[in-house]
Amino acid sequence: MSLLDRKLLRDLYALKSQALAVALVMACGLAMMIMTRSLILSLGTTRDVYYEHNHFAQVFARLKRAPNSVRTQLAAIPGVATVQTSIAMQVTLDVPGLDVPAVGLLNSLPEHGESVLNRVYLRAGRLPLSQTTRHELAAGEAFAEAHGLRPGDTLAAVLNGTKQTFRLSGIALSPEFVFEAPPNSALPDNKTYGVFWMPYKELATAFQLYGAFNNVAIALAPGAAEGAVIAAVDRLLAPYGGRGAYGRSNHPSHRRVDDEIRVLQGLSIAFPLVFLSVAAFMTNSVMSRQVALQREQIAMLKACGFSNAQVGAHYFKFSLAIVVAGVGLGGVGGVFLGGRLVGMYHIFFRFPSLDFLLDTRVLVVAAAVSALAAFTGVAGAVRRAVRLAPAEAMRPEAPARYRPALLERLGAARWFSASFRMSLRNIERRPVRSALTCLALALATAILVVPNSFRDGVAYVIDFQWDIVQRQTVTLSLVEPGPARGLADFRHLPGVMHAEPFRYVPVELRAGPVMRRVLLQGLPAEGTLSRVIDAHPRQLPLPPRGIMISAKLADILQVHPGDMVVAKVLEGEERELTVPVAGLAEDFSGLAAYMEISALNRLLLEGDRISGAHLVVAAGRWPEFLRAVKDTPRLAGCIIKNSIREGFRKTTAASIGLLQKIYMFFATVVAFGIIYNSARISLSERSRELATLRVLGFSRGEVGAVLVGELVLLTLAALPLGLVLGSAFARGIITTVNTETVRLPLVLTTANYAFAVLVVAVASALSALFAARKLAAIDLVSALKALD
Amino acid sequence: MSTGPSPTDASPRATAREPVFHVRGLARVYGEGTAAVTALAGVDFDLFRHELIVLLGASGSGKSTLLNQLGGLDSPTHGTLLYRGADLAQFDEAALTRFRRDAVGFVFQAYNLIPSLTARENVALITEICRAPMVPEEALRLVGLGERMDHFPAQLSGGEQQRVAIARAIAKRPAVLLCDEPTGALDVHTGITVLEAIERINRELGTLAVIITHNAILADMADRVFTLSDGRIVNVRTNARRGSVRDLAW
Repeated sequence: MSLLDRKLLRDLYALKSQALAVALVMACGLAMMIMTRSLILSLGTTRDVYYEHNHFAQVFARLKRAPNSVRTQLAAIPGVATVQTSIAMQVTLDVPGLDVPAVGLLNSLPEHGESVLNRVYLRAGRLPLSQTTRHELAAGEAFAEAHGLRPGDTLAAVLNGTKQTFRLSGIALSPEFVFEAPPNSALPDNKTYGVFWMPYKELATAFQLYGAFNNVAIALAPGAAEGAVIAAVDRLLAPYGGRGAYGRSNHPSHRRVDDEIRVLQGLSIAFPLVFLSVAAFMTNSVMSRQVALQREQIAMLKACGFSNAQVGAHYFKFSLAIVVAGVGLGGVGGVFLGGRLVGMYHIFFRFPSLDFLLDTRVLVVAAAVSALAAFTGVAGAVRRAVRLAPAEAMRPEAPARYRPALLERLGAARWFSASFRMSLRNIERRPVRSALTCLALALATAILVVPNSFRDGVAYVIDFQWDIVQRQTVTLSLVEPGPARGLADFRHLPGVMHAEPFRYVPVELRAGPVMRRVLLQGLPAEGTLSRVIDAHPRQLPLPPRGIMISAKLADILQVHPGDMVVAKVLEGEERELTVPVAGLAEDFSGLAAYMEISALNRLLLEGDRISGAHLVVAAGRWPEFLRAVKDTPRLAGCIIKNSIREGFRKTTAASIGLLQKIYMFFATVVAFGIIYNSARISLSERSRELATLRVLGFSRGEVGAVLVGELVLLTLAALPLGLVLGSAFARGIITTVNTETVRLPLVLTTANYAFAVLVVAVASALSALFAARKLAAIDLVSALKALD
Repeated sequence: MSTGPSPTDASPRATAREPVFHVRGLARVYGEGTAAVTALAGVDFDLFRHELIVLLGASGSGKSTLLNQLGGLDSPTHGTLLYRGADLAQFDEAALTRFRRDAVGFVFQAYNLIPSLTARENVALITEICRAPMVPEEALRLVGLGERMDHFPAQLSGGEQQRVAIARAIAKRPAVLLCDEPTGALDVHTGITVLEAIERINRELGTLAVIITHNAILADMADRVFTLSDGRIVNVRTNARRGSVRDLAW
């Protein structure tokens, strides 16, 4: 090892705590980047491999019923490579141990051979045998896990009004149901909703659909235009009650995985970038201070014949050591956290296996970015040092020119103590350095605001969605829309105190070239249960004409209140309605449109019909109510608000909560790192001055006040700036992670701000304490004799 | 002892006829226009191998500027500065670096040791980069520090630190040893051991030594003494016989 390298090691050891602080900040940014990018890679790769391997279709369609012969016509559409037709029926389940009715989506397996598309992956047991045994089915893993069901267990389902008991032959997964959530719900509820597979013949016979199908999956030929195929499928299926074909981008499960990846992408760039810039700034300040302190050593090295390149390389190695430590720690941290987080996705997404894949490319890029940041940080300082003629560098730096601080010039001087004046002048003398330190402190404050805004956003969503918007206890929906007088039956169920009807119609909303499939919800104009709420939040009464849509949907369709949208009804008779947008609703999951129920029924020309009702049930009669519901035929679903809320708490909220905790930890580390480093640099820059003050008779406390005073002044200036910056970061990040399936509102609470201020204050106090302790150790005589 | 010879004359000890430094009309002006400060206003002299030169003068007289010119730490504004016939004023950064690396040993008033390296390592730092150096231990023994080689600068006294700096300067067997107030920060007794070390190197290795001092007593140990004032050499004194360091009238 060359002696310059040995010097390097010893200098690094002497600066270990500062070097470690910089490396830790860098490591936090990198860990976050590596963790999120690797999760993106893991999810993306696993999904693509699964899709490919199990032949996930590209175009999907539902219809009322069509004879199997139509399949040939579908296959003949130009651009269609493979067609798979099947039956999918929603039924009510009676699961042992579950006191509420659950909903199952039964999918048929082909009569002969394996499915050509959307192939089932068998996790345990076997698929139901179509020829030999009856009353067998395979259950989706999420539902089976939620109920502890294993092959051999039984459960009952009501098929077309007849309750039948089935034996579970196996547990399965499908690329169609990576995300197993009820239709039109952005949130999974694995207790009350599950997917199942059973032989075609048995399912078809039960619903009098033998020889027909109601579900289509299509794989496209290479180069085929999806839009053209969808249009052709729609034309072909229209006479058979087609409900509109759609591509993968509108497939609910696919969309949800995509959105999760989009959220991760949002998090993987903005936040780590802030951390890495902070790390670059810290490297810069540590290195320029180090180079300034070693000014005379540099001069001596040059006088003794070391070249600029050798001296420059020496200091670059210095920063390289910090980068290597940062990248090492960040890499290990990112892999560790990514490995832990990938397990969390098992709650949402069902893949045959979801393994953690390290995104090595991002590791390399991240290392290069950090190295570049550190080098840029060092370059300026080194350039200044080597540019200096050695003869000049040998002399101590000329004393900086001071002048009375602005506040003093304004005549406020008489109120200030001498030490406060010194702090003020020191800040003013080096405006750039002071501004940068202030900015770093502000960034420390800002990054503390972001994670807690996530937490508060989730808490707000929980309250908003299930206390303000939805005030029912339970929502019951019918298999088919029925006459409005059915509401009376709901009212007569035991314990029902209040009932409000709803009419749901799947529609395709279009404005210009953009279209989205949503559920158009017909509700009472001023309902008290499921309500339409705006951003303020106030209830929006539904007008007799026009629709209310999610603010996010308005954003996607690029429409404003007063604009017209085209709604194509995807149920029953095909019709297109042009309606004005009457207002924007605030909602945080999925996209929705709302209309006054009788206005909707008028437009549908179907008379007064309802799809179900929202109910308030007396708590004391809950078991009685559930028993009655379980025995009610023609019920398609029973959604209990509290179990959806719990599901949200355990899944989305839990995952955001975990990310929030990780980010909070990182942000705290960074805040401490920045503040500690600022105090250290300030101490080393001024040790001579402070020692002189001590020699001149200042007490240790008075000298400490000069040092701490400056930090306090800068922190006071930084805090408001930091809160403003933090709010902006939170807004930026929440905007990037807002998707069509799940959104977070920007909620900035006083508690959040107070916490950020508290952490910065504690970090400042500890750093000041540390600096004061170091101050006591300054050797007065030697500090005066020679420069550091 | 006589006074008044031209600084271009050699002292009796200057055996070789070719000068190490050939200096004519050397001037260094800092700044421009009205702010211009003339640090060196045109000096002429030749310096030879085996010589020990003392530069005397008040603060600001131009001593350090002259030393920096000789050491290739700074470039002249006007005049000729030849090192063994080569024009230092024409050297680029790389050539100056090579010149300093191979030919010049510096000793500074503030020692300028690397605090994180031991005495031995401070010397070895330089011997690693030059052509035919001594081993660090030899250089340290020459300055009487054979025993304390593994101490860090902070563990050494001022005189010991300065002797490490001298060992560092001579370990490369330089043609020139340039010392800027080498005893400025030291007491008399320590000063003597440091000067003895410089004198011994000059005597045993034939290294041209140039010492800046404000202490006129040191003049007796020199072959020639240049007195500077306002950037000019105002007096040159040639000693027929050099006094030993111990006999100086402290």
